[in-house]
Amino acid sequence: MFLSLRTGFFLAVRQIKRSGKGTTALIIFIMVLTFLNLVVVSGLLVGLITGSFKQFREGYSGEVLITPEAGRDYIENSPALISFLENHPKVENIAPRYGMNVQVLGTLIDLPAKNERPNRIGTRLVGIDLEREEAVTGFSRFVTYGENLKEGEEGYILIGANILKKYSSFADANIPGLDLLEDVEVGDRVRASFTRAEGDIVSKDFIVKGILKSKVDEVSTRMFVTDRELKKLLAVNQEQFQAISVRTDYAYAPTLVRETKEFMNGYEARIQTTDEAIPSFLRDIETTFGILGNALSSIALVVASITVFIVIFINAVTKRKFIGIMKGIGISPSAIQFSYVFQAIFYGAIGSVIGLLLTFGVLKPYFDANPIDFPFSDGILVATIEGALIRIAILLTVTLIAGYVPAKLIIRKNTLDSILGR
Amino acid sequence: MKTSQIIIQAEKIVRTFHDGTREQSVLKGIDLTVERGEFLAIVGRSGAGKSTFLYQLGLLDTPTSGRLVLDGKETSHLNETEKSQFRLFELGYVFQDYALLPELTALENVAVPLIMQGHAIKDAYKKSAVALGRVGLGQRLDHIPAKLSGGEQQRVSIARAVAHDPKIIFADEPTANLDSETSEAVMDVFLDLHREGQTIVMVTHEDEYASLADRVITLSDGTVKSSTHKKS
Repeated sequence: MFLSLRTGFFLAVRQIKRSGKGTTALIIFIMVLTFLNLVVVSGLLVGLITGSFKQFREGYSGEVLITPEAGRDYIENSPALISFLENHPKVENIAPRYGMNVQVLGTLIDLPAKNERPNRIGTRLVGIDLEREEAVTGFSRFVTYGENLKEGEEGYILIGANILKKYSSFADANIPGLDLLEDVEVGDRVRASFTRAEGDIVSKDFIVKGILKSKVDEVSTRMFVTDRELKKLLAVNQEQFQAISVRTDYAYAPTLVRETKEFMNGYEARIQTTDEAIPSFLRDIETTFGILGNALSSIALVVASITVFIVIFINAVTKRKFIGIMKGIGISPSAIQFSYVFQAIFYGAIGSVIGLLLTFGVLKPYFDANPIDFPFSDGILVATIEGALIRIAILLTVTLIAGYVPAKLIIRKNTLDSILGR
Repeated sequence: MKTSQIIIQAEKIVRTFHDGTREQSVLKGIDLTVERGEFLAIVGRSGAGKSTFLYQLGLLDTPTSGRLVLDGKETSHLNETEKSQFRLFELGYVFQDYALLPELTALENVAVPLIMQGHAIKDAYKKSAVALGRVGLGQRLDHIPAKLSGGEQQRVSIARAVAHDPKIIFADEPTANLDSETSEAVMDVFLDLHREGQTIVMVTHEDEYASLADRVITLSDGTVKSSTHKKS
């Protein structure tokens, strides 16, 4: 076996070295494309969703998100919890938020005509600490039109673009039940109405100071005022937050969740890592896209294996006489087979190495710096070295088989028939 | 004749080919003995069965019936792997159309069987260079077949056949594709090898070259028509 391997390797090296450069380059090019198809297509599909996870983490949740327990209006023990988080050595920043459901009337000047629905929608009004929100989510980057809020000012509001007909990506979709505010621009006045805990209905007018564009729904479908103003509207005496986003090390998040739960010691709140906070349907989409990517990659793999098969088959068929002669002079069939398998592996390996360099040296850095602008996320390329190595192993296995089978088919022909070309 | 001097002993070699329902006997029970160091030429008209007989003797084909002993070894019981090993270590072949691997240099072509035998590559190259030197190609070691003339390619083929010191060399029409001048040069190589004691069995259709052998057997219709020893 060793002698066959050695002789096969000897033959393969020389055949590769002295075969047509153009053909070799073409086969390697196909292998590179196959590798990229294996890694990049599924990586981009998964990256669409992973990109939205990343945006959710960076633009809203932080690494840990604390929200009220189901059926509760606010996070219990909020003041002590804030203090705990502020003093935790691993916590970099926190962004506590107030929030309540409101009805917003968009047009305060014109009354609706007969049979015309008022320009009104229901949404969530969120009160934010501008400085802390900026530290955790970089909130000001979402202000696309107009200006951000300023500390201490009252009567101003920021509106997410996806609840405004003029700016929403869904405006022309005519989705039943999706209400959007019409004719609301920066500088216009809107009226928010809500019901206090005691049952009082309160209304307050705001001037639209800015419009927020983000691919994170928690930003683009909500309205924002300063926390001080919202606290006044809620008429609460103490800090009763509806959400706290915590910025910490991503890897430390599970530990911080555990520590925070221990600290809460009976007080109710939903404490989750950003990954846990992502809705399960998005996880399902991620899985589906992964399967879809793998299915597409499988087609590429079949094409590549057929390519290698044909190349090796033609190579072996045209050398049938030489193969017969080699067998005739005593070269073992397995040595000849190994020579073709080595050639196939060479093409697969070189293609994979170039593909690896392209993926991690060019494409991944490029897509990280220039994400693909999808309507619901900024698509990145999800590719890990481990994943790529697994795909290389698959590619090499497939090329190995694609090299072995045709060589076997030719080599098993009768030696004398091969020599005589019968 | 002492048994130990006999290197090829063929008894009643029959080779029949089947073409659908038709059966064609190409060899019809040939008997032959070849002495160690003998240079035997097999001649005959086209279709006489010369090459077919050579393939039986060289273990490239299996007789339909008959007995073949090579260098004292009964070959009829050998399986394909054993035959392949026997060919690799004990036999050498020279084919009509040189049969060199196009991507390998002259040196590498000669070295391949040696590497398969287990020689270190460096050692195989050294032996191959010596073999190529013997056939006058010491200066053409690194040339690929396409850069060599027909005669040079045939000499590379001979070097490949002799590099591992085989017991017998089988040559199938080695001069068929060569002009007369080159053919003579190739025959000189065979004669040199023969003088060194090499057993050679050569098929040829050229009487001029056959006459250089110790013995000439003429095949006709699958049987030995005549056997002529060279006059000393």
